[in-house]
Amino acid sequence: MSTALYPLATFAQTQRTPSREDGIPEDLEEDLRAYGCKLVHQAGILLKQKQVAVASAQILFHRFWFVTSMKQFGIGDIGMGALYLASKLEECPLRMRDLINVYDLLLQRAAHPLGPKAHAAFAYAPMSYFGTTFYELKDALVVSEMQILKRLGFNVHVVLPYGTLINYLRVLGLTGEAAACTRAWGYLNDALQTPVYSLYPVPTIVSAAILLTTRHLQIPLPSEPPNCWWELFDAAWEDVWSVCGHIMRLYRARSAEETTRVVRLVNKKEVRRWLEERAEDGMNQN
Amino acid sequence: MSDSSRKRSKWDEDEDEPPAAQPPPLKRRTKQKPAQDSPSATPPPQPSSVSRHPPHSHYVPPRTHHPPILPSRSVYCYERLNQIEEGSYGVVFRARDKQTGDIVALKKLKLDEEKNGFPITALREVNALMTCRHENVVGIREVVVGDTLTQVFVVMDFIEHDLKSLLTLMPSPFLQSEIKTLMHQLLSAVGHCHSNWILHRDLKTSNLLMNNRGTIKVADFGLARRYGDPVGVGGMTQLVVTLWYRAPEILLGAATYSTAVDMWSVGCIFAELILKEPLFQAKGEIELLAMIFKLLGAPTSNSWPEYSKLPLAKTISLPSPQPPQFRQKFQYLTAAGIDLLMSLLTYDPDRRITAEEALQHPYFTESPLPKHPDLFGSFPSAAAGEKKRALFSSPSAPARAADYKLLTDFDVPEFN
Repeated sequence: MSTALYPLATFAQTQRTPSREDGIPEDLEEDLRAYGCKLVHQAGILLKQKQVAVASAQILFHRFWFVTSMKQFGIGDIGMGALYLASKLEECPLRMRDLINVYDLLLQRAAHPLGPKAHAAFAYAPMSYFGTTFYELKDALVVSEMQILKRLGFNVHVVLPYGTLINYLRVLGLTGEAAACTRAWGYLNDALQTPVYSLYPVPTIVSAAILLTTRHLQIPLPSEPPNCWWELFDAAWEDVWSVCGHIMRLYRARSAEETTRVVRLVNKKEVRRWLEERAEDGMNQN
Repeated sequence: MSDSSRKRSKWDEDEDEPPAAQPPPLKRRTKQKPAQDSPSATPPPQPSSVSRHPPHSHYVPPRTHHPPILPSRSVYCYERLNQIEEGSYGVVFRARDKQTGDIVALKKLKLDEEKNGFPITALREVNALMTCRHENVVGIREVVVGDTLTQVFVVMDFIEHDLKSLLTLMPSPFLQSEIKTLMHQLLSAVGHCHSNWILHRDLKTSNLLMNNRGTIKVADFGLARRYGDPVGVGGMTQLVVTLWYRAPEILLGAATYSTAVDMWSVGCIFAELILKEPLFQAKGEIELLAMIFKLLGAPTSNSWPEYSKLPLAKTISLPSPQPPQFRQKFQYLTAAGIDLLMSLLTYDPDRRITAEEALQHPYFTESPLPKHPDLFGSFPSAAAGEKKRALFSSPSAPARAADYKLLTDFDVPEFN
């Protein structure tokens, strides 16, 4: 496997993402990334897509935002494109129509509580037969798939962490503890909503998932300097700790305003308007 | 030391972001500082954690070895020289890298009539080439794009010849020692692809490129795809491998197949190198089966236990049993050579030799030993326009799997 290494963001790319260059604050970018990944995950479940394809899609999705600004492309469209592309890569292609219908449903459902009929129960309004919604979404899908390929230089090689996790748990003698295995697996899946898969090699991320698991379940492992279990897996403590930070930040409580903000900013038009409004506010305050 | 590190940082600057305000060495230190702070603030404390790291294992290369996330460059980084060939997949050009002056092959992908986004076959090809980097697999340099989203070019190393036209043009056949070198290279490339979970599915002499330094490179991964364990998850098409090189289990409609189909093709290529012409020059599948039956003898329940369970086995009437005709056909091959050929052209895919096993075959260690690649002769390159290219006709590779559904006939479709 050493012949084909997966791409990771360079140090410069991690310091200044294109979105932040365009004035999108770091926490907003983080929330938008996570929300885009949630949509991918939800769509994957509704489409009964294999988890390998969903996970690959989420990793490609995160890589994309290291070379592109959210002002140029919406997280909804790119998430849809990433899932479509990853399904081809994992040899379980999706039908365009199915994917578009599912995304339409998800976006409507998410926007419902913000709309005028928020008090009523949500009812999906299917796309009109003669409407343009379908064709607009289809164009967006084709364009985002192509843009992902182009902006990632067609290097869409993804390595998933699950096999590594199993091996590491075996080495640490934790495979007997069902709770530990499930929890670590869950952390790996949640980590897909964070950019860590574009920042750190897989062994570091898996070590972080194990670290969080063993801390929460209070399973002791050798952690004193000469014998640190993560060094067995070529992970550095700072990196493991940083991945843990990324994952735990996902679970922090968010204000109602923060949650509605991401739903509203699913496409690029809204992001642009938001940026303009903010610029105007800034002007007025001065 | 400071000199070398400055040089490296200059490179980083060029590739990452030219308008950086600070020199990178300084920034690197600033990056590590907060990282150092966080562990010391939390249990367990890591005394002097940064300086003392055990060396990385072979399986976990340091982070800096990973490629960066880089967008595709523009096709205008290359200067077009001449057209090499045109196939159903697109056109291949010879081109020069404007920066380095390297001569490369540019393969333009056909994306005009795509209804389902970027074609999955092209994705598989690019992915397979990127995954299977090997001395004997044609090297992919990058994928570049033109002005619109429909212009995509795969940039590959330029190799002077393909083995097919070389075989037709060269005055005398390859020597045994040369065949051994070529076969060894081919087998190590195929073995490498298989160990990376890639099936080539279109091995034939016209897809083997050869340079003037006696090295062959497997090319054209247009039909390649990943396979898994168990094989055939997600369904695999029967419409693979150019007819003459197609394994009998595909001809008989097996629902799943594996690395053995590539090994059959390798066997056909081996025979072609010896004979200087393709082994099975059949016009259709029925004729091909008849030729295979003639050379190998009809399959028996002993030589191929699964034969009767294959979907199309009942539609074929077997000729009367007869011994294999390898010795009559290959009169000047040593016993070890015949044994390797028979192991490659074995009916039962489960018993067919694997690439790894074939590399250990005594054929490669008996006299004459494989010739050193540097001792190979060189030839005028048709692809570089050094000599007019001879026209030859060989059946084209099967078209994409999507077209297969349109076919009701068992005959080879003709695509124009």
